[in-house]
Amino acid sequence: MDGAHPSSVSDRIRREAKVVGLRGFSSPSLEAVERRRMQLWILTAVLLVSVSGATALLSMWGGEPLRFWFTPRVLRWGVVLLSLAFCSYAIEKELHLRKLARLLIDERVLTAALSNRLREVSALLEAGKAMNSVLELDSVLDIILGGALELLLGTSGSIMLVDAPKQLTAACVRGNERARDRAVPFGEGIAGRVALDREPLLIHGRADAEQFPGLVDRTEPVESAMCVPLVHREELLGVLNINTDAGHRFTEYDLRALSLFAEQAAGAIANARLYEAEQARVAELTELDRLKSEFVALVSHELRTPLTSILSASGTLQRPDLAETRDEVAGIIERQARRLAQMLENLLDTVRSEQPGVLPKPSPVDVAELVREAAGDFELVGSPVEVEAPATLLVRGDAYTLRRVLDNLLDNAHKYGRPPVRAVVRTDGSTAIVSVIDRGAGIPSEERELVFERFSRLERAEGRPGLGLGLPIVRGLVTACGGSVWIEDAPAGGTAVCISLALCPDEEKV
Amino acid sequence: MRLRPHVLIVEDDPDTLLLFRVNLEHAGFMTSLAADGGTALRRMEAEGPDLILLDLMLPVMDGWAVLAQAGGRDVPVVVCTAKAGAEDRSRAVRLGAAAYITKPFDLHQLIDTVWSVLEERSVAESHWVRAELEVESPTAGIEPT
Repeated sequence: MDGAHPSSVSDRIRREAKVVGLRGFSSPSLEAVERRRMQLWILTAVLLVSVSGATALLSMWGGEPLRFWFTPRVLRWGVVLLSLAFCSYAIEKELHLRKLARLLIDERVLTAALSNRLREVSALLEAGKAMNSVLELDSVLDIILGGALELLLGTSGSIMLVDAPKQLTAACVRGNERARDRAVPFGEGIAGRVALDREPLLIHGRADAEQFPGLVDRTEPVESAMCVPLVHREELLGVLNINTDAGHRFTEYDLRALSLFAEQAAGAIANARLYEAEQARVAELTELDRLKSEFVALVSHELRTPLTSILSASGTLQRPDLAETRDEVAGIIERQARRLAQMLENLLDTVRSEQPGVLPKPSPVDVAELVREAAGDFELVGSPVEVEAPATLLVRGDAYTLRRVLDNLLDNAHKYGRPPVRAVVRTDGSTAIVSVIDRGAGIPSEERELVFERFSRLERAEGRPGLGLGLPIVRGLVTACGGSVWIEDAPAGGTAVCISLALCPDEEKV
Repeated sequence: MRLRPHVLIVEDDPDTLLLFRVNLEHAGFMTSLAADGGTALRRMEAEGPDLILLDLMLPVMDGWAVLAQAGGRDVPVVVCTAKAGAEDRSRAVRLGAAAYITKPFDLHQLIDTVWSVLEERSVAESHWVRAELEVESPTAGIEPT
């Protein structure tokens, strides 16, 4: 039957049907052929019996011939030859009828195969429609696995996705709960092998552990299993596994059908991932937009307060009857103007720290001396800082930038923490670590990264002045100097903000 | 009967607090000061001010809580804040604020608003003389909170 084309089979059937006299049927049935065979052999049997009878009668005929050649002998031979001719006719018809019967069986098989194919194509189309009707990845995976099991009469299965380099993790499981969340490196087990080779596999019975290293033994053995790669535009997204229990065996044809199905499924998974990435991006942009709106509101709020003080103070200064307050009010104007200038400086620092190459090339800086200088300046404005530092410690950085960092950290410690504020400089041999420590309430570990995000201020900072830019600026500036910054608990309670900077190599020390 | 209306100033910025105090006292008011919401509530209970000048963003307890408490005691509140949004303004009015002034503002505007709120309460003219009265030393500092 291999290679038989349905149309050529139909043509041959019509031809054979014509030969055997089944002309009234456009497509004769096997039953009609059998009836015709029966008729043929009954006719043949009747004829042979009649011929035998006639021959016997002629043998008994002893009279004179009707003509000189019309003898009993001639008649006998005539009857025999006639019956032989009919027999040869019957045999020829029988051969055609047999051929017709075979062709009809072929046609039935082909029709059944076609109808199976049609069912599969229709199931593929339906699954494709369903896969594309949703965009959430979990729903898409569920539809894919359900569709594959239904299409190929599988009893259990899973979809494993590439979620880390060279690793698959089960993202959707049916019928084998032990496989849920299982992670498999490429090359291990059946799924890992398929991911590595990108070739579909069909396995009957228990898989060979030697052939598939790292194979996890199943508690419930399967009759047969198929595993196909999910590839979209040359990118491996994962693998699709389908298993069947005893009583049903997958075939090579099933494997081809599953491979076709997997192509469509990979497209749907890629679309869902794209959609999820897009959704995440939209959420991120929306959040950024919200944060920026909040930031604008915060900036406008923070600017309004010193402006109010300055306007009120200048109004007070203009009143001769309040002359005795002049010095104090002038001090208010200066303080509030400096506060405004500081805010502007912070805003500019934020922009600067985001632009690569703006900061000067790192050079040797004595960080211990820099810390002492900064502490001295804070002392002058009534914010004392205890310093614990070696006589000198050279790091690679920029003096102005590092001073901005220290000012920000010391200002934060005084503003949000509690005294005493300490600055500790130490080294572990390769890096210098500067810690600014306060005795405030501390920052919970889950919020420690949050404070480095721009525009974010912790709940408890509400009501205190500030734009929430201090630590983001610090991180930007320290990173630009090749260092890093983090927060840890202070040994005696409170917050320790630490920065690490590379020590200056000996050859750079001048 | 008090000769001078008593204004409780609630503001966490020391400079602004000092300027309000100097100018309000010069305009004839008696003042007391609070730099956070908790102190403001205690002073409101203890002193029974005629009016509260209230900033909204305060440490310990924010101005909204103070506003809600003051509404219950029928003390007129002039909200004086950097929050310029319409939502904040309408929320303050719902909570019973008599006036809502957004920073930055002119001192005359503030004093006029305070007077007009007190006058609306109808007791103002009969009890108080809107005139230059003796002013305490403006450099007396802010009471500890």
